[in-house]
Amino acid sequence: MDDDRLERLLKGYRLPEVSRALDRRVMAESHAILVRARGREIVEDVGHSLLHRLGFGYLAWLVDLVTATDAEYDVVVI
Amino acid sequence: MEAESGEPVAEDAELIAGILRGDSGAFAELYRVYRARLHQYALSLVRSRMEAEDVVHDVFVGLAKQASAGRAPRELSAYLYASVRNRCVDRLRRKPERRLEEADLELIAAAPGDQERVELRLPLQRALLALPAEQAEVVVLRTWHDLEFAAIAVLQGTSVSTALSRYQYGLAKLRKELGVHGR
Repeated sequence: MDDDRLERLLKGYRLPEVSRALDRRVMAESHAILVRARGREIVEDVGHSLLHRLGFGYLAWLVDLVTATDAEYDVVVI
Repeated sequence: MEAESGEPVAEDAELIAGILRGDSGAFAELYRVYRARLHQYALSLVRSRMEAEDVVHDVFVGLAKQASAGRAPRELSAYLYASVRNRCVDRLRRKPERRLEEADLELIAAAPGDQERVELRLPLQRALLALPAEQAEVVVLRTWHDLEFAAIAVLQGTSVSTALSRYQYGLAKLRKELGVHGR
């Protein structure tokens, strides 16, 4: 059997089935994670717009600055 | 790209954008596209169905966690394959003397009416699992995942020519094994 024929033979095999239990596990956990994140985002948006409407826009800006800026730190070996 | 069923699917970038928006449908689509391939890849590395399922689960849940924090991989396919590989290598390091669960292991499947492949499935699978791990990995990734040798070389941390040699040596051994079975 030459390489071409062997490659064709191999490629004709299919991938094994994935268990439904794994599908359910992955989808349930991932869905919960994404829904929580979406919920968090909505609450943050509502909080931001509320602060702006109440005239505390600078607070929203400050929160963004603190949460979106990477901390810079050094480890000093004594 | 095509899903397992052969239907056209959204590109990786679109799916990732959807997941970053918290769209569970985009996540389900991405899972559908990659699940069988990543499962077989993990199975070929850890050689235990249960552990392979745990690896695939951890990789996808890890991706969901990253996306929920607003982070997403730039090269999705490369990220998923590397995640599977790293997690499998970690597991193998923790349990170096692992028993081959051959009875439980189905690395390749043949369509019921395909007599030749049905007959050769077990000897081929046995021969594949008997290859040195790096050779088996290249044969699996090249044959059933259509990965380029360059991508396989990056995964294995080697050169393209080494990946290519591993593939050729692997095929030669499989051919020899089939010769024993009169093919």
